[in-house]
Amino acid sequence: MNAADPIIRINRINKYFGQFKALDNVSLDVELGEKVVVLGPSGSGKSTLLRAINRLETISSGSIVVDGHDLYAPGENINTIRMELGMVFQSFNLFKHKTVLENLTLAPIKLKKMDKGKVEELAFSLLDKVGIRDRADHYPVQLSGGQQQRVAIARALAMEPKIMLFDEPTSALDPEMIGEVLDVMVTLAREGMTMVVVTHEMGFAREVADQVVFMDDGAIVEMARPDMFFDNPRHSRTKLFLEQIL
Amino acid sequence: MSEQEKIIDIGDGAAIPDPRDKGLFSAWRIALIGTISLLVILPLAKPDPYAKILRFVPDGIWVTFEVTIASISLALIIGLLTGLGRISKNRYINLAASLYVEVVRGIPLLVQLFYIYFALGRIVRVPDIVAAVIAMSFCYGAYMGEVFRAGIKSIDFGQTEASLSLGFNRRQTMAYVILPQAWRTILPPVGNEFIALLKDTSLVSILAVADILRRGREYASESFNYFETYTMIALIYLLITLVLSKLISNMEHRLSHYERR
Ligand SMILES: Nc1ncnc2c1ncn2[C@@H]1O[C@H](COP(=O)(O)OP(=O)(O)OP(=O)(O)O)[C@@H](O)[C@H]1O
Ligand SMILES: [Mg+2]
Repeated sequence: MNAADPIIRINRINKYFGQFKALDNVSLDVELGEKVVVLGPSGSGKSTLLRAINRLETISSGSIVVDGHDLYAPGENINTIRMELGMVFQSFNLFKHKTVLENLTLAPIKLKKMDKGKVEELAFSLLDKVGIRDRADHYPVQLSGGQQQRVAIARALAMEPKIMLFDEPTSALDPEMIGEVLDVMVTLAREGMTMVVVTHEMGFAREVADQVVFMDDGAIVEMARPDMFFDNPRHSRTKLFLEQIL
Repeated sequence: MSEQEKIIDIGDGAAIPDPRDKGLFSAWRIALIGTISLLVILPLAKPDPYAKILRFVPDGIWVTFEVTIASISLALIIGLLTGLGRISKNRYINLAASLYVEVVRGIPLLVQLFYIYFALGRIVRVPDIVAAVIAMSFCYGAYMGEVFRAGIKSIDFGQTEASLSLGFNRRQTMAYVILPQAWRTILPPVGNEFIALLKDTSLVSILAVADILRRGREYASESFNYFETYTMIALIYLLITLVLSKLISNMEHRLSHYERR
């Protein structure tokens, strides 16, 4: 891989669910350290696109190359590629039978064969970062939604991924908890993490995004820097979407 | 999981007492105290034949336990494999597992018992007790498979996706994430199957396996004390299942620790 190559290269992908076309000829490059925010109405294919990047969704045609690895090349091991891709879900999906600390340490211990003491050290520093160190031995049910989502972010970070994928990380949260999760994401962005974020938080998109991608009907309709995107949208569908949401 | 769902999970057997059922006059307590009282009082009040029966039958208890423990262990292994087979994306594995479940569910246990006993007898000469264990676990493995399948499917798919996204493969996901959680759902029905299996081992008495029931029948046919013998046998089975059901319900309660706030 060349230093100048994008860390994610999505090339003309299509995705069908039966007859239904969920992704329509989508191409997108994400550079190392870049933050891409994906916007669009419900059902436009945002989640499908994001989940295609770590192959939770298999595509029907096209190609996706992550950090030099073609997701569909015969010799590639998808599990190793996924270690480079942290993912945060709308519904947190913390391991319910594990404590907060164990949620963070499980994958590094089992997959990287890292020493338990070292992993816990890392885990505690991550819990510090997301502000939940004092809950390390709690179970997920004992936490609020905002706390759970912060743990979920820390869990993904514990694998020390190169890229973080977020699928509407604040959509399942009570309004008063959205801020605490966005704060963590903003910090992460400032530290230079490569991020692809599906969200409806326009403030976050304006503040953090290098590129805003607008999707509709499975296709990328418009892609622009946030100031251009919000102040000068070119497409009528983008304008309509922004009018409805702002 | 709400209390409501848990009660449904337990299924039609419902042998496991509700953990909240702590009142002095719970059905479980009354049954236990009544059973123990009868098992003590009857032999004291009328040593002949009750005390004699109590001296004759217990050899069979160990045989019953042996058959039960061996069968449940095998059935759990078969059940896990069958459950995994039933959710497998591999068409042939899936078909084989489903076929096994269909066949076993469609044949009465007693018929299976005879069938395996005599079919096996044509090929190899194995001790009766081994044939009994094979037949019991073959049958219960299928039921266990359905229990495992339901338990695995009860876990939110988000858990699998989170695990895969971290880099775990499917086998690791099953071992580290899904099964440890599914066990919580699986345990109550497994407990019920365990107790049902223990009771069903009485069927092996017709295969010349000297379990509780067979020992009782031997005693009764010599002494002609049919009523007294079967009274004691019923009480012994009842005592065993009452104690077991309590143990299982306690275990279930302990396993649910992470669901309590
Ligand atoms: N597993 C599936 N089977 C069939 N159709 C699906 C499946 N997953 C998604 N779809 C369809 O694909 C389209 C795109 O779905 P997707 O989840 O990517 O939308 P989205 O933009 O993330 O929407 P939302 O904002 O509601 O999350 C939708 O019409 C959806 O109904
Ligand atoms: Mg979505």
